[in-house]
Amino acid sequence: MRVNYITDEVKSVIGTHNGPILAYHPVEASEVRRFFQAIMDPAPRYWDEGWAAGSRYGGLVAPPAYPPHHFRRPPTDPDPLDRMRQDPDFDGLVRTYRGLPPVNLPLKRMLNGGYEYEFFRYARVGERIYRSSTYLDIYQRDGKNGAMVFIIAADMYTTDNEVPLITATTTSIMR
Amino acid sequence: MSDICFEDVSVGQDIPTVVKGPMSVTHVMRWSSAMENWHRIHYDWKFATEHDKLPDVVVNGSWKQHVLIQLLTDWAGERGWLWKTRFQFRGMNHPGDTITAWGRVTATERRGDFGVVQLEIGLRNHKGVEGTPGNATVVLPCRGGPAVPYPFDPACLGPASS
Repeated sequence: MRVNYITDEVKSVIGTHNGPILAYHPVEASEVRRFFQAIMDPAPRYWDEGWAAGSRYGGLVAPPAYPPHHFRRPPTDPDPLDRMRQDPDFDGLVRTYRGLPPVNLPLKRMLNGGYEYEFFRYARVGERIYRSSTYLDIYQRDGKNGAMVFIIAADMYTTDNEVPLITATTTSIMR
Repeated sequence: MSDICFEDVSVGQDIPTVVKGPMSVTHVMRWSSAMENWHRIHYDWKFATEHDKLPDVVVNGSWKQHVLIQLLTDWAGERGWLWKTRFQFRGMNHPGDTITAWGRVTATERRGDFGVVQLEIGLRNHKGVEGTPGNATVVLPCRGGPAVPYPFDPACLGPASS
């Protein structure tokens, strides 16, 4: 029997907005280093200060799609891994919903469905990043492996003075 | 790094690929750690296979996206600009996979001082299986013309033909 997960409560969060939220810390050179080393992209704009200073960026920058990864847990927030002690089913994924209302679904597994980006400028080392978020849509698809709920959220990332960095639309799939 | 100009591009042209791998659990853990992403399907084999019924731990989509972006920024060079891209994660990758990012030009249009190039893009594994279909829009300088302005403002482009 088909279960309808798109309840009135779920529908009510579509269109809700949050932000701008300031990331806890500014862009740090060593955080960028760990990032470009992990993605294995050795472009000099991320690490060569002399090269970067003479480039169009005017200094070291983070990779294009870095801003969505920049929002880390402040030290005053509770440790989400504390939940591991009580819940062996906890998947380790911290669902913060970007400060938007939670999407309450009786579905446990979350998958990354994809991204859509528009790029305007790269975040520079030392800059602060802000995020404004909106739920664009939430809908259900029923397939041979059961129902999946798609959560589409749009995020605008800016630096000080509302200078745009990127827009990102993400698709999260609950199943 | 590429110094490609719009005049160098034609529809149907393949752009240089970017290849990563073979991927290992260690590569995946390095990314998860750098991002503070503790989703256990990426590094906890027992959880991934027994709890979530996956065939193995999973290479993060959040990591794979950057391979596509590197493909496009390498090709656009420091005088061009990756303007837009979108892609869907339809297939999973696992440790042992070598991942190739590829792109093919599907349309070109001169707009004012610059050229706008549409591309089909994707990620395929070492078995030739495609898993991440997408597309992108890259703005390139014209030969002898100015570099694409940075920061990028779409208003720098001339009107579209349609």
